[in-house]
Amino acid sequence: MASNFSGVLQLTDLDDFIAPSQECIKPVPVKKTPRKKGLSKIQVAVDGSYMEVDTTSGKSKKLQKAEITLNDCLACSGCITSAETVLVAMQSDEELYKVLNFNKTAAEADKKIVVVSISPQARASLAAKHKQQSTEAAVALTHFFKSLGVSYVLDTTYARELALIQCAEEFIERFRSETENKNLPLLTSACPGWICYAEKTHGDMLIPHISAVKSPQQITGTLVKELVAKHCEVTPDHVYHVTVMPCYDKKLEASRQDFYNDIYSTRDVDLVLTSGEVETMLKKETRTLTELLLAVDATQSNSARPISELQAAFLDNLELLNHSGGGSGGYLDFVFKRAAKQLFGRNVDKVEYKVARNNRDFRDVTLKDEDGKVLLHFAAAYGFRSIQNLVQKMKRSKCPYHYVEVMACPSGCLNGGGQIKAEDGDREKQKEILEEVERIYDEIPATIPGNNEHAMTQLNSLKENSSKLNHTLHTQYHSIEKDDTLSLNVKW
Amino acid sequence: MTPVLECVATLAGHADRVWDVKWNANGTLLASCGTDKTIRIWAKEGDNWICKSILQDGHQRTVRRIGWSPCGNMLASASFDATICVWDKKSGQFESSATLEGHENEVKSVTWSRSGAYLATCSRDKSVWVWTVDEDDDFECAGVLTAHTQDVKDVAWHPTEDILASASYDNDLKIFKEDDDEWICFATLSGHTSTVWTCAWSKDGSKLVSGSDDKTMRIWQRYDPGNMEGIPTHGEDPTWKSVCTISGFHNRPIYSVSWCHESDMIAAACGDNSISIFREDLSSGDTTQPVYEMVCKQHHAHDQDVNAVHWNPQQTGLLASCSDDTTIKLWKISGE
Repeated sequence: MASNFSGVLQLTDLDDFIAPSQECIKPVPVKKTPRKKGLSKIQVAVDGSYMEVDTTSGKSKKLQKAEITLNDCLACSGCITSAETVLVAMQSDEELYKVLNFNKTAAEADKKIVVVSISPQARASLAAKHKQQSTEAAVALTHFFKSLGVSYVLDTTYARELALIQCAEEFIERFRSETENKNLPLLTSACPGWICYAEKTHGDMLIPHISAVKSPQQITGTLVKELVAKHCEVTPDHVYHVTVMPCYDKKLEASRQDFYNDIYSTRDVDLVLTSGEVETMLKKETRTLTELLLAVDATQSNSARPISELQAAFLDNLELLNHSGGGSGGYLDFVFKRAAKQLFGRNVDKVEYKVARNNRDFRDVTLKDEDGKVLLHFAAAYGFRSIQNLVQKMKRSKCPYHYVEVMACPSGCLNGGGQIKAEDGDREKQKEILEEVERIYDEIPATIPGNNEHAMTQLNSLKENSSKLNHTLHTQYHSIEKDDTLSLNVKW
Repeated sequence: MTPVLECVATLAGHADRVWDVKWNANGTLLASCGTDKTIRIWAKEGDNWICKSILQDGHQRTVRRIGWSPCGNMLASASFDATICVWDKKSGQFESSATLEGHENEVKSVTWSRSGAYLATCSRDKSVWVWTVDEDDDFECAGVLTAHTQDVKDVAWHPTEDILASASYDNDLKIFKEDDDEWICFATLSGHTSTVWTCAWSKDGSKLVSGSDDKTMRIWQRYDPGNMEGIPTHGEDPTWKSVCTISGFHNRPIYSVSWCHESDMIAAACGDNSISIFREDLSSGDTTQPVYEMVCKQHHAHDQDVNAVHWNPQQTGLLASCSDDTTIKLWKISGE
């Protein structure tokens, strides 16, 4: 079976055939219960569960199964790909239907408020599949999810606006820093496949270089859990947050311990669906975006009350946000322009890339002074081979860049592993689909981060409280030690 | 007179099992490597084969395979320490000039393309990598191919085109090419019922031979679009079809094959300590179903598993072999 993860993750260690329960080396914590007096025996029940039967009283009790969670897999340096089995169980459209069905019969106080946040890349993929414009897809998808019982449908571009501004500030601060080791290049952190690879293979070397800014998915997660809960006067665990992403690896990102709220035992993003999985849902409901669009007006009445703090994030907004610099978020584009302006007082209207020989997924751009001296040197490294060459350059201390936009997929996020693919896997058709998705993605006119009033108000209010700013916009990374015992069961 | 394999020299020196032997392009030097983490370079002086140099300290673990650059000035070694070492003869002596990192674990094979422009490696991490040399003479990764689902055992470049074949624990062979600046898999050769340990191309590259844990060898014939036989192809890509299974000659896995580009003979190294030689029986006349006959077999070629065989590219009929028994042997096929 071909894995859905990006190539970076498929590479990471060991046989695929280890199902979590079989050869997994992860020690499972066993809760010790006080020893009972008397004898008991264990029986296997009809449904396959293990029952402990007290021989004197005859009472039986279901024994807890030892389970490996996705989080255990992520924290282990072993077989990343066997995490997929766990993942399929925990992160599929079935889960969303479960929650929606639960809501139908649950008592009012137990109901979950379901929020769906759709990334612009996934929206473009679905729009291309249904031959719709980006704005039409936004309206149709909002209607689709609401018709299933979802309360709010958001666009993650809003969170990206916050992320971009934060990334530029982080870079400028690092560049200006007087310390001897500025940890440049600064490497972007929005791509979870890249982060997972960096943590597992070169953690100690790479982590100091990785941007502390959260990805748009996770910023949206924090905002939704806080603001929707506040607005609806419930605790965050009563909000069920689903994102729609171009990428399978985002499921891993959402499952990170860093994005788990211990107090309310809830995740910032409860479920990640890919564009392809949403397409499957549309098929299941036998809906097309075109017919959904026609039905839109009829449902206006049951739309939930808007939340003022998230006003600019609603997907059925009349003026959707977009950022220049390509379908992977435009990190390099914006940080380069802003750094050129703030550090050197130069206006850059358009970033002119130089594409590497033999690899169009590796591009760089420089800002030079009048004498030709390089002031800024940025690069975009997409796909695993580019990442590999970047990492090796850093290892040899021959990396000339100040900032690198790193993405695990060749051609970037619009070509993500979760996007809707050509049915027969034909390469030519796939290229045509990608071109169409890129065209649709660019339909929304680019806005400049910092120009959106709502985003700036939110950012300024966050800045008044540094711990809140940190909680909302920043995260951290963890080097994963390679476990040598893993290489003992080697097959030649 | 029946042809026989005659042992003309036994080269002792390695302290542990010898994994690979490779002749350089002009057939004057033989390189070997093994569990003792060293690479040895052998040459003939007078009537004797002697060890000219020992390359060590390049690897932390077993050196699994080696490959000569076509020019003969460079040697690459693939090791279980997850790295590939490139050895350069610029100074007159072979010296380690680069270490290629990136594979997640044991590197199983390394080979230079005919033009010398590319280096291919494969690993237990299930991937095949293609490397090139950048402007600064540093090796850079040109492609990471994750087409296989299991440990990749061997890689072999086509003799005239930039096409790469790989053999894997997933029982398949895959064929790769560069398409629009990206390396892609464009053919999967299924048929073996167990691990494919090795593969080698015929002189013109129209055929590929593979050796497997299923104790057989297969001959794969290339069919280009519009072929006379009417074998279906996809787009502009050729396809490969198994046209002959060589079975019944060995009762242990085939670990290595070498296709002599002069005599057209195929040598096979086997886990039953034997070496056997095969050749197409041209008398059958049916090109769609070629028949391969055994020319000769050396039952007890080594005391233990034979890990590799390689024909000398210049001196036709001179074969090198190496084994778990720590020795390297040179053979001459006689009675031809």
